[in-house]
Order: sequence, then structure tokens, then C-alpha cells
Amino acid sequence: MTRFVENSIVFPYKRSLGPVIGAFMTGLTEQRILGIRSGDQVIVPPLEWDPQTGAELDPDGMVEVGPAGTVESWTWVPAPSEQHPLGHPFAFAFIRLDGASTPLLHAVDTGAPDALRVGARVAPRWRGSRVGHIGDIIAFVPGEQPEVDGPDSGPAEAPVTMMDYNASITYRNPVPPVLDRLREASRDQRIIGQRCPVCERVYSGGRGYCPIDAVELGEEQDVDLPHTGTITNFTIVTPVQYPGQTETEPFARVFVLLDGTDVILPYQPVVELPVGEVRVGKRVAAAWAPPNDDIDDAGAMGGAYGHLIGWIPSGEPDVEDPDLVNRIF
Amino acid sequence: MVATNGPRTDIAVVGWAQTPMVRRTDLSETQLLLRVITAALEPLGLTRADIDFTCLGSCDYITGQAFSFVSNLDAIGAWPPKRDSHVEMDGAWALYEAWLRLQEGDIEIAVVTGSGRSSTGDPTLIYPMEMDPFYLAPLGADPLTFAALQARALIQAGITDERAMAEVAARSRRDARSNPDAQVKGDADIDTLLAGEYVRAPLRRHDLPPITDGAAAMVLATGDRARKLRERPAFITGFDHRTECHNPGYRDLTDSPSTRIAAEAAGLGTSPVEVAELQAAFTHEEILLRRVLDLGGEVAVNRSGGALASNPIMATGLARIGYAANHVFGGGKRALAHSTSGPCLQQNLVCILEEDA
Amino acid sequence: MSTEPAAIVGVGQTHHKSRRHDVSFGGLVREAAFRALDDAHMTFADIDAVVIGKAPDLFEGVMKPELYLSDALGAVGKPMFRVHTAGSVGGTTAIVAASHVQARKHERVLAVAFEKQSEGNAQFALGSGRGASLGAGGAFAPFIRAYIERSGAPEHIGWKVAVKDRQNALKNPYAHLRIPDISIEKVKESPMMWEPLRYLESCPSSDGACAVVLTNEAGGTAAAADGRPPAWIIGASSRSEPPSFPGRDPVRPAACVQAAWDVYEQAGITNPRQQIDMAELYVPFSWHEAIWLEGHDIAAAGEGWRMIDDDETALTGSFPVNASGGVLSSNPIGASGLLRFAEAANQVRGAAGEHQVAGAKVALAMAYGANSQYFSTWVVASSLQPFD
Ligand SMILES: [Zn+2]
Repeated sequence: MTRFVENSIVFPYKRSLGPVIGAFMTGLTEQRILGIRSGDQVIVPPLEWDPQTGAELDPDGMVEVGPAGTVESWTWVPAPSEQHPLGHPFAFAFIRLDGASTPLLHAVDTGAPDALRVGARVAPRWRGSRVGHIGDIIAFVPGEQPEVDGPDSGPAEAPVTMMDYNASITYRNPVPPVLDRLREASRDQRIIGQRCPVCERVYSGGRGYCPIDAVELGEEQDVDLPHTGTITNFTIVTPVQYPGQTETEPFARVFVLLDGTDVILPYQPVVELPVGEVRVGKRVAAAWAPPNDDIDDAGAMGGAYGHLIGWIPSGEPDVEDPDLVNRIF
Repeated sequence: MVATNGPRTDIAVVGWAQTPMVRRTDLSETQLLLRVITAALEPLGLTRADIDFTCLGSCDYITGQAFSFVSNLDAIGAWPPKRDSHVEMDGAWALYEAWLRLQEGDIEIAVVTGSGRSSTGDPTLIYPMEMDPFYLAPLGADPLTFAALQARALIQAGITDERAMAEVAARSRRDARSNPDAQVKGDADIDTLLAGEYVRAPLRRHDLPPITDGAAAMVLATGDRARKLRERPAFITGFDHRTECHNPGYRDLTDSPSTRIAAEAAGLGTSPVEVAELQAAFTHEEILLRRVLDLGGEVAVNRSGGALASNPIMATGLARIGYAANHVFGGGKRALAHSTSGPCLQQNLVCILEEDA
Repeated sequence: MSTEPAAIVGVGQTHHKSRRHDVSFGGLVREAAFRALDDAHMTFADIDAVVIGKAPDLFEGVMKPELYLSDALGAVGKPMFRVHTAGSVGGTTAIVAASHVQARKHERVLAVAFEKQSEGNAQFALGSGRGASLGAGGAFAPFIRAYIERSGAPEHIGWKVAVKDRQNALKNPYAHLRIPDISIEKVKESPMMWEPLRYLESCPSSDGACAVVLTNEAGGTAAAADGRPPAWIIGASSRSEPPSFPGRDPVRPAACVQAAWDVYEQAGITNPRQQIDMAELYVPFSWHEAIWLEGHDIAAAGEGWRMIDDDETALTGSFPVNASGGVLSSNPIGASGLLRFAEAANQVRGAAGEHQVAGAKVALAMAYGANSQYFSTWVVASSLQPFD
């Protein structure tokens, strides 16, 4: 039975708006919808360029349109997503605002699909508190008259120049069987590699194929790898902060050449080894979490060796070999 | 404004393969590619060592990881290193890059792929990310919504109706019965289809493509090499793609001018095609494309079942070219393949395949 | 080869900064595109096809941005092609754009590459949103340690490159980092970020874009006749190798060496040190200058650092490298490769302004990506047969 893991990509993007989109967003805080002139057309929503030719448009040519408009095409959203502007069923529609040459896409809130038709007249329902975002219009509603939802906090105090965009996507990926085998074996303090039957190279980390011969490696190619090795190379990272960062102090990542093999485990964490004592040639041994610990995917090798939490000094004398440092892969 | 003297080197599709098209695979994208590249090469007696150039097509946002294509290099046998490229586009565009590269005449064989595992995420949450980042993405405006708006525009203009759309779905499923690789197939009664609920009015479930995991790989060779590798190679005699402005609100959704320009530049009109494989993920798109490409009733459209039968995003377009090549391999004279990207057919590619002159 | 010769007749770039909050996503790429078109005496109407490149879409949170940017770049009714080969993408964008001309598919092609890093966070995106992201510096630091140990180079070599490139940047009006009092002392006292790399030995994070107009032999000849010398592409190649396998050498990657010799063979170069006048090499961390001098056989193995030590790669040296200030001075990731290719073109056009290398007629440009796996290389020259 294949195991699936979920991970979410969530990031708060900050977008700069430039002169035209900025003016449009600022207009929204004033309950005004702006388009931009291109020849005898009024482009809504406005762009810095003509959408057909790419010609630069003059930000001084921005004009107010609407607030009411006519539905040109619509569709009903019976089950809104978390990204949609309304939490209950609604319509997405192309709305040609009065005075505009092109339609604006937005939500129309009518309660039921039978209230909608091409040609229907709609007007914006404004959010009471507006920040300069397309969502300052909650939705359009039937009729000619704009509405404001709740107390009106008025326009922005300064021109709007930036916009937040928060996207969250959850991905559900199968865990390749080899990774599950490796994880389970790591509970018993085993490090499993895979030997390519064609070229005999041994791969760590549950890759599942040999990139040289482009062949898949299955369970029959599994081999046990030793638990001791030598640091061949390393880096010490001074963490910078970013959303999701978990580190605050400089941390080491080392490359371990396993004894009697050609196998390097790259970018490994260390245990009980201060960053100042990390060096090429240092002898290390695998450090394991207790077998019953529930190890997440943050362990060494991105979870492949779940219970292998890192490498601990073995106390043996250093290996003196000038070629060691070149063993990166 | 196509260069008057044009590309000069004869280049042909000599083989291709695709993975089984499934709702969800347990295999990684790299594994899919490992298998499908081998499957494309073996019947030709070729190995990865024979490949002079590779171009892969895939998408980070479908995989959910930055640089996701890098591990796919493991599937092409890039040791010793290969001449190689990657496009964040359907494999049909990877084929286009390889076709340009082979024109240089110094190499003979290229392999291109398209791959995607759409099962990993919810398309309605992923695809708004490709829309205008200021006006559309923040509304969660998804491809289903835009497809529905285009379908209604076509209905409103009298170009199609819901029954005609259901007929496209029924025919696709029926044709897919004879395609072992198709995911959605079978007999469907039009009235039963039309009795279904709207997913996004006027679109019902049958107007939509399935969610598919899959990959395709294609082998290209220059003229003489192609003739040695197989009987009846499918020569690429016309190849072009064009784009339109992004926001569908600025476009006439009852037309597809970029398809028309690409077809003209690819020389579609110079002689008739017998079959056409169109990347129409929604029923109304096939109706619009047929009309724009001026394909009459004598042209067999999407005999494979098309994207409505299996829709491995990033490989759907390349598979269309593969099915068109199959027509030539099997004795046909001339076939058209089409691929598309973006909301409401924003970007369109046309490839003409012919038997050896 | 029976290909159509291709020439660069227009080059443009934005001013690169940490945050270009003054422009939108579309405005940024247009700024570079218009500069390149102006330089080529063209408008969007003259362009047959557009090729766009950038690093991962997760950096800005805009998926397949070639869709949103098609009208921003005047591509309506034209082909719009999107390339993504990790950090080498800017170089590959130029090579794919050239391929459009060389294959005789189109006559005038606009290549654009960009990154607006300030919209998101590269550290976040590189770690796909997880903690303890090593960043590019953490990933490459071990390669650099191996180079230093292998070559026996003294530690000040890295500092010298860091100083030289920032001094060159002071002569480049578009460069991001401008550190007038840059010095060896300043570099060696800057914080250790990814041992052995210090803060000032590392590239910045930039917003920026670059654009290049390419055309065929007739177009290049016409520009030359009009007093606007083109840069002729006399060799180009992209090569890749797998991320890792036992024995892989990321300090002298085979894909780098092979791409270089693909290009030399096309260009008729047998002695790169003698026949090439200057190079724009992708050097995000100071030591990569020595690594790539060797990877392109401009210096013998283990000897690249000596060219730096002897000031030969300085602007006035015998083989200037990164006269523009390089990636160490401006790093709009997706554009960084195209900037190398464009700066090399400007050098042989005699259009590099204050950072012009005197008499440059043949220039090398390269970019690399991922785990030192993707390599794009070209050589441009002031004439099609520079060695006759
Ligand atoms: Zn092997």
C-alpha cells in the first residue's frame, strides 16, 4: 500500500504595482474603478500597455468607469474553493462596466444561478475597509446601485504601491517504496543503499535508479552500508531568516564517505560536534534516534534515513588523505 | 513575417511512447520518464548513448517543488553529459526546440519528453497561479471558470450548444475505446450526459478533461537517419506556435486567431490533412478549433479520444503529435497536431506531419 | 554547418536593485526590452518571436509567466517560448533565441530574462518552503573548499575577485552593488556566511531584467553598415549532467568542459587563452572565477587562481573577466546568465561604455545552474571570421 505525504507551499508574496495598477488599486480604496485609454478604447482592468500591441499607455489617460455594468458571460461556482472571493455559491462573470471597452472578471453574488443572464445589470458591493486590492470589491450584485458592506473606513491615506498575495497549495505525493524500506530499516539502525546491477555503483538516499545507466533499482538491489565514515567536506551555514526557517545559530553540514565504500552521504547534520571542530578527515559514526521515536521527514537525507539523525565523532584519529576533500559525490 | 527561405533540414518523428494514463500513479516523474524514454528508444534499436540532444518539458507548480526538472536529468542518461535543454512548457514545445536545434545539421537524433503528475494537487488551487497576478490570481480565477466563460460566449454567438458539446464528449469516449492508453472511455448517451449537473455552467463533467498522471517521450531524427531507423517516418513539414494577450477579457473568445496564424505559418492550407489531433481539454474547444482550422467532416478529429480521454498535463500536447505521427507511420499521408497553453487557448501550436516526399 | 549566421544587434538591461518597488512585474521586463529595441533601432512590430527565461516560478509566485507577459512583451500574434534550465537559464534563453535565427525560422528575435526576487524569497523557494535551507552558498561552499585544497590557492584569491568585480561594477551604471570603498580588508572582515565563503564574496539578491535582439546575417550586416556594429555568435552550446553519482566532480564538471569545447570547435578556437579577449563568467561566489577559468581551459588545471593573483583578469589585465561587475555585483537570478551573454556581446560591439575592454573582438560568456550541472556557453565576435 503506497503511503502518501502532504506538504503545503505557503508564501506571502509582496507585489509592486507600478504606476497604472497602483492607480487602479488606489482608486478602489476610493470606491472608484479606473480604466486606461488606448486609442478610442478604455481598457479595464487597466494595464501599462495595450494588450494587443504592447504599446506603452499613458497613466494620465486613466478614466473612471462604472460603477455599474452589464454581464457579458457568466458561470456558476457551486462549490467555491478557499481562494475564491465568496464562501457560498456564486457566479464568476465578465462584467462590461459602463464606459469600458473590455470586461472585468469578478464575482457576482445572486444567491442562485437562475437570477443571472447575459445582459444583466450589476453594481459593486464594496468592502467597508479597503486596502487597494481587487478584493476591495466583495462581489457585484444585481442592480445599478453600488453598496458598501459595513462601516466605511474611507480611502487609503497614501497612494497604494504594493499588494500582498498569499497562495497556499497542498501537494500530496506518493512515497516511493524504496524510501519506506529505508525509513523502516533506519528504525533498526540500518543504512540501506542500492547497487546498480549494470555499473556496480552504490547509491544512497533511496534514489531508486542509476542515472548513469538509466535503470531502476528495486528491493533486490538493496545493500547494507557501514555506520562509520570520514568527513570529506563540509560547510558551516550562518542561517538567514525567511518564512519557515527553523535555524537560528550557525550549523554544519558534512559529507560522509562510508568506510570501505564509494558512497558519500552529502549535506549531513552532525551531533555533539561543535562547528569549530568540523574538519576534513574527521572520523564519525551514525547517531540514531530511539527506535520508537516518531521521526518526521526532517531527518538526515530528507527523511530517507528517518532515524539516522546525524553523525557523531567516533573518537578515532583523523584520516590524512589530501584527496578526501574532492569526494563530494 | 516568417523567414522567406525557411528551415531546410528534413526532420522526422521516428517513434514515441507514453506511460499508461492513470488518475494517480505511485511512480515519481523521474521513474515515469525512465520507463517512457526506454520504451520510445527500444523499438528503434537505439540506446540513450545514441541521443545527441534532449529537451524536457515539465512544470514546477504541478510538481510542487522548485527545480523539479533537475532530477529528471537522471532519466536521460546524461553521462557523459548531453546537449540538453528544458522548457517550462508542454513537451510539444520541447519538440519545437529540438526541431530548431536539429536544423543546425551537426547532430542527428533528439529525444523530447513531456511529463506531469497532476494528481498531486487540486487544479482549481494551482492554476490560478498562472493568471494575471494582480487582477485574476487573487480571485482564485481557475481554468474551469475561464473555460465556462468561453463556452458561454460560443453558445451566445450561436457557434455551439450544450448538445453539440455533449456529442464531442460522447464521440471522444467512444473513440477512446480502441485506445488502450486512454483513461476515460465507453459508450455514453447524449441525453444522459445532458441530464448531469453543471460543474461550472454551461460545463458539465463530460465537458471537462480527467485528471491524469503520465508522460510521453518522442524520438526525432534528421532525414536519412530517420529513413534508416524505420519505415514511414513522419516528417515535420510545418511547425509553428503563436500567442495572444493573456487576460481572456481582452480577447474575442469566439475566435482563436493565434491558432489560425500558427496553422497558416505551418502550411496547413497547402493540402488536406486526413486526421487532426487537437489539444481540446474542454468540449467547446474542439468545436472552436475545428472551425478556426477549417477542418471539414472528412477530417478525423481526435480519434485517440483526445485530451477528454486522458490529459497528462505537460505531455498532452506531445501525445497529440505522437498520435498524428502514428497516422503517418500507419500509412497516412498528412496529419495535423495541435497543442495549447494558458486560459481559453491563449497560446497555440500547430505541427504538420507527412509521409516522405 | 549550414546554419544561418546570427548576430546581436540590440542589448538592454534594467538598473538592478534589491527591490525594484518602482515597477510592476511587467514593467520590469519592458524596461529591459525597450532598451534592447531602442539599441537595435526597432520596435515590437519588428520582432518575429520572443523567447523568455527565468528561474523557478516559485520565486515570484507566477506560474508560467510567459502567459501573463505575452502582451507586455508585444508578442501577440507571435511565438512566445519559455526556457527554464535553472541558473543557466539566461544563457540558454540566448542560445534558444539564436537557434530560431540559425534554423531560419525567424529573422528578428527578442530574448528576455528576468527575476523579481523581491516579490518572494529565494531561500524559501530553494528549500521549497522548508526550514534549514542551505541556500546556494551552502550548496556550493564544499565545491569551493575542494578547489582551494586541490589547487593550493591562498585564501586572498577569493577576496581579490570580490574586490575586482565590485570595482568593475562602479563603472557599470546598471550594477546593483556599488561599494566605492571596497577593499581586501572589507571583504575579509565581512561575516562568514557559508564557510569558506564570506558575505562580500557572495552575490546579492536582485530584481532585474535583461533583453537582447538577435537577427540573421542580412540584419547584422545592415546594422554594421548603419554604423551599429553587431556581435556575431561564432559558437554556442548547452550541456547537462546528472545531479550526483559516485565520482562526479563538481569542481571541473564534464558538462562545463564539453560545452566549452563544443563552442571552441564551432568558433575555430584552439588556444582559448590567446584567441579570446575577455570573458563574462557566471561567478555568484568569488572562487568560481578560478574554477571556470580552468573549466574553460583558459588556465591549466590548478592554475586559474594565478591569473587572478597576477591581476590578469582585472579590467586592464591580459584576460579581463566580468568587466561588468558580474553576478557578484548584480544577481537577478534568471537574468544573470543573459546578462553575461549580453555583456560579452556589448564588449565586441565596442558598446560597453566605461567598462569596455580595449580592443575586445572575441568574448566568451557562460552560465551554469543547479548543482553545477547545467552549462550554457557562447562565444561572440566582432566579425564572423575573427581569426582570419
Ligand atoms: Zn549503473
